[in-house]
Amino acid sequence: MSAPDIQEITVPDTVEELLGREDARPGVPWVVIVWNDPVNTFAYVIFVFQKLFGYSRAKASRLTNQVHFEGRAVVASGAREKCEADVARLHGFGLWATMQKDD
Amino acid sequence: MARRTFKRARDGTLVVTLYAAEVELLVMTARDMMTIVEEPPDGEVRDRLYPRAYLDPTEEKAQGEYDALVHDDLVRSRSAALDAVVGGLDAATPNRRGLIEVELRPEEEMQWLTAVNDARLVIGTALGVSEDTDTEYARDDPRFEYGVLYAWLTQLHFELVTLMLGEIGEAGSDDVGNVTGDDSGNRPDHGGT
Repeated sequence: MSAPDIQEITVPDTVEELLGREDARPGVPWVVIVWNDPVNTFAYVIFVFQKLFGYSRAKASRLTNQVHFEGRAVVASGAREKCEADVARLHGFGLWATMQKDD
Repeated sequence: MARRTFKRARDGTLVVTLYAAEVELLVMTARDMMTIVEEPPDGEVRDRLYPRAYLDPTEEKAQGEYDALVHDDLVRSRSAALDAVVGGLDAATPNRRGLIEVELRPEEEMQWLTAVNDARLVIGTALGVSEDTDTEYARDDPRFEYGVLYAWLTQLHFELVTLMLGEIGEAGSDDVGNVTGDDSGNRPDHGGT
């Protein structure tokens, strides 16, 4: 472990708290979920995650394994509009994606 | 199989090399697909090509807005991808060895990838493929021909994805370090995430 990041200790706790408060955020966070399907291949799904989200091979592979073995994985999150755009791009690549509130 | 269907030329152009019979099959498939992406039959095929964004039934209004915003664009981009495949192949003529070579423009590379994958989605869904079965049906099975087509498209797709995965590389964001022992690269990859 390296020394604590200087930014971590200079940001006042109150700011962290404010940012973390639900009513201080611009909207409820949403998550984008990709579901397992029998047609899309591992290699293709890994490629799409890297291409669309700029994820590393390691992260894209881990998410793809999660989709396969657990049936679904959260692949992105954010505001509703951003998630809708992500879902639309995933649909364009033929992946089975949905979005929901991050409860 | 020594011949590679997709090959990156020295100048960076992606070159597709196909036999005349393969071109015929691909053009026929792409033409059929044009009708299906524009007016998919109700049911599984449509749900697979154009899934809901929201599963929550209380988000019906948001779903309607999503469809209004996205659906026509999705149809257009799918049609354009199929057009790119057909257009490139229609314009090509076989060389002395009976092979047809098509040079793809940069924007056509992803269109080939998604057009072939869309065809796999539609045929795979119609055949009801699962992760545990292959598509080698008996000759007298009505699914035989589409099974062969699906397997061939899967092979094409695999070749193209392999090339693109190699080119996109390993680097990227959120490189979480808990993937030791990941063996996804060694798994038979005939379908199914």
